[in-house]
Amino acid sequence: MSKLLFNGSVEKLYSLALRLYPQPFRDAYAPQMRQTLRDALTDRVSRRPYFLNLIARDLITSIFKEYLSMFRELYARPALIFNAIILAGIASGIALALYAIPQQVLRNGANDPQIQLATDAVARLEDGAALSEAIPAGNVDMARSLAPFIIAYDNQGKPLASQAKLNGGVPVLPTGVFDYVRQHGEERVSWQPILGNTRGVRIAAVVERVGGAHPGFVLAGRSLREVELREAQVEQMAGLTWIGMLALIVIGTLAYGWLTRSPVQRLATSI
Amino acid sequence: MATADSSSPLTPAVFAILLALAEDNKHGYAIMKEANTPKGGCVSMGPGTLYGTLDRLMRDGLVEETGMTDNERRRYYRLTADGRAAVSAEVVRLDAAVSSARSLGLIPKRVRS
Repeated sequence: MSKLLFNGSVEKLYSLALRLYPQPFRDAYAPQMRQTLRDALTDRVSRRPYFLNLIARDLITSIFKEYLSMFRELYARPALIFNAIILAGIASGIALALYAIPQQVLRNGANDPQIQLATDAVARLEDGAALSEAIPAGNVDMARSLAPFIIAYDNQGKPLASQAKLNGGVPVLPTGVFDYVRQHGEERVSWQPILGNTRGVRIAAVVERVGGAHPGFVLAGRSLREVELREAQVEQMAGLTWIGMLALIVIGTLAYGWLTRSPVQRLATSI
Repeated sequence: MATADSSSPLTPAVFAILLALAEDNKHGYAIMKEANTPKGGCVSMGPGTLYGTLDRLMRDGLVEETGMTDNERRRYYRLTADGRAAVSAEVVRLDAAVSSARSLGLIPKRVRS
């Protein structure tokens, strides 16, 4: 009697658990699955604790598998996946452009005052102005200030005059920059000066060649701190736009896949 | 999923179901029980795995319902010709692997297969 009661309870619980399967699968196989359970419970040879354990594990794994299988059938259609990949590619391209274009505009714009400062200083030096006249005294702290500044170097790259200091000294540009400017007349670089233990200072630098009787170089620079903050905001906005577009594509693909499912799937999911 | 001409190995559940049905037409519990015996490969599977696998095997044309029932809920299944070919191909593949293992001395001499 108690065995019958126990079997009945197990069957009831199992019937409830069967509701967790996808509806098409449930409609097709739930009666047979219940019958299989009943057969196992009434089978004298079957070891009941072992079988109940097996049923519990099977429920978890097979429910997951059946949903995965249903999902695959609904959405693993080449045209649907191809469209989603194309749309994701377009969205990624747009997001990349949304980041790269403003980033380039911001970065190039960061050079604007320096181009004018360097050009003017070079013109004055080439016209024979004294160093102190072409580069008026300044006291810009490169680590903290956002003000533009000028540094004059001799032909060997040794600092001659500077409106800015870093840790009390005038940082020296890498020799490669001087070599490039010697050949091309001008270079625009993001410079990370290292002097003492200062790290993380990044400068938008414009370096121009000084000709004439006293050849050398003029560097006009400005901290990139604010520009980089704006670049980070642009990056964040582009990233959010990208994620948003991808989410829309996923939702759209799922909705389209569902609406255009085959007549057989439509019948099965509407029962 | 397996097809008759596929050369990829069958999963243990698929192989056990096809092997169980190779002997005779069977209903769900009989297949489960047979699969769990040494001659069926000692594959434990619950009703969810059994009917999920049967569903896919029927769609692949390896198994079909016989249409015979001894109870409204107890349906019988049988192998199709493709299903028989698939299980035969798997047995040949396994036989080659067992021969190889034997030649490497990986199978104790007292075991006969």
